Amino acid sequence: MDIAFFKQALGIAFSGVPLTLLVTVVTLIIALPVGFFLTLVRMKRIPVIHQLIGIYLSFIRGTPVIIQIFVLYNSIPLLIAGVAKGKFDVYAIHPIWYAFVIFSFGMAAIVAEIVRGALQTVDKGQLEAAYSVGLTVPQAYRRIILPQMLTAALPNLCTATVNLVKATSLGYAIALPEITLRTKVAANAGYHYVEAYTAIFIVYLLICLLIEYAFHKTEQRVRRYQGGIAC
Amino acid sequence: MEKYFDSSYLFQAIPQLLPYLPITLGITALAVVLGLLLGLVLAFMKLSKAKWAQQVANGYTTIMRCTPSIVLLFLIYYGVPAIADGLFGINLHDVPSAVFVVTTFTLQFAAMMSEVIRASILAVPKGQYEAGVSVGLTPVQAYKRIVFPQALRFALPNMANGIISVLQEGALAYTIGFIDMVGKANLIIANNYGTHTLEIFIVLALIYWILTIGIDKTFQWIERRLHVGKGVA
Repeated sequence: MDIAFFKQALGIAFSGVPLTLLVTVVTLIIALPVGFFLTLVRMKRIPVIHQLIGIYLSFIRGTPVIIQIFVLYNSIPLLIAGVAKGKFDVYAIHPIWYAFVIFSFGMAAIVAEIVRGALQTVDKGQLEAAYSVGLTVPQAYRRIILPQMLTAALPNLCTATVNLVKATSLGYAIALPEITLRTKVAANAGYHYVEAYTAIFIVYLLICLLIEYAFHKTEQRVRRYQGGIAC
Repeated sequence: MEKYFDSSYLFQAIPQLLPYLPITLGITALAVVLGLLLGLVLAFMKLSKAKWAQQVANGYTTIMRCTPSIVLLFLIYYGVPAIADGLFGINLHDVPSAVFVVTTFTLQFAAMMSEVIRASILAVPKGQYEAGVSVGLTPVQAYKRIVFPQALRFALPNMANGIISVLQEGALAYTIGFIDMVGKANLIIANNYGTHTLEIFIVLALIYWILTIGIDKTFQWIERRLHVGKGVA
């Protein structure tokens, strides 16, 4: 074990953290509302749309993330080139834009499943009661349904967020210089792979523990509405 | 000029990829069986009264949950031979990469399963075990005949998710040079000089999609069978 390189690798791995977190946060900002909306649309059971969303959710559940990345990374330039008709250089797009699109595409489906599960825990009477006192649909969801479903959704959202951070380690497939790719490239020169991957491992462990801690704190905050003496 | 997307490549890729399906499934099956055994041990450590056993098992699960598969895969691929060489002087550099792939996904699946098994054993009312022991069963018998069959029903949906996850994370095995379906797909693409990647990956996506639906349906079927048994009793 080359301690000097290990320290260097740790530094390089940490330098990739902002990019990993940026991709994670932007993906969440896109995927949370889209996933929520997908579930609401799906609950309306509009014939063709209902089946299309079902196929989309099944596809995301059914295929490995790396294959999703490969398929989307190879097909998005085709779509853009088809629409832009040569007015736009698809090869000049920074990989981070691909990362936003690809990870949001997968995450929205996962959020939709979580929201569906969480909505089932809220009693239907709550929505009816909200309507009966004159709240509009957005008001009813924001003030009555959302706070109640959050308690059920948060543990699953925590797992999903951790999985998202882990999935960004596949950014090498789209040449995204995040934690794993940066450190791996640095290790290539001297074959210091053990040191490099140990460093990467420690950085992911820290990020993941921080995320779990943050979700734990949020959950406690959300749960205080549930009453009880201990909460 | 040749078309960028040529659907004939889709149909050519299928017979080339399918022979490698048993390898992908074999790796998954091995990791699932070994992972279940290790997961069972970890679950009992979590349920035991010994503090150290609980801490070791919980720490292990946290670490596994936080490590991306690809990082774990490379850590084991490079780390295990280095440790074996450095500490014990054993040469593991010629071990086939399949061993490292199975090891990685066994460790990962065991962590997932330890949580699933722990939760489903806790879901069985304690009186069931006590009733078993009170009629003269030994603790091992009581677990085997009374607790496990009931716990299995609670565990099935999460077990299906775990198996699907191992199958899909296994798609990363190609990164250490293991030739399964994804590895073969990359070889085909290399033979095409890097063209027609999209067609090959669409075929791969379809194969994985069908496999996942198959696993889901199988577990739903088993669950229904077990529920029938419960209703009659």
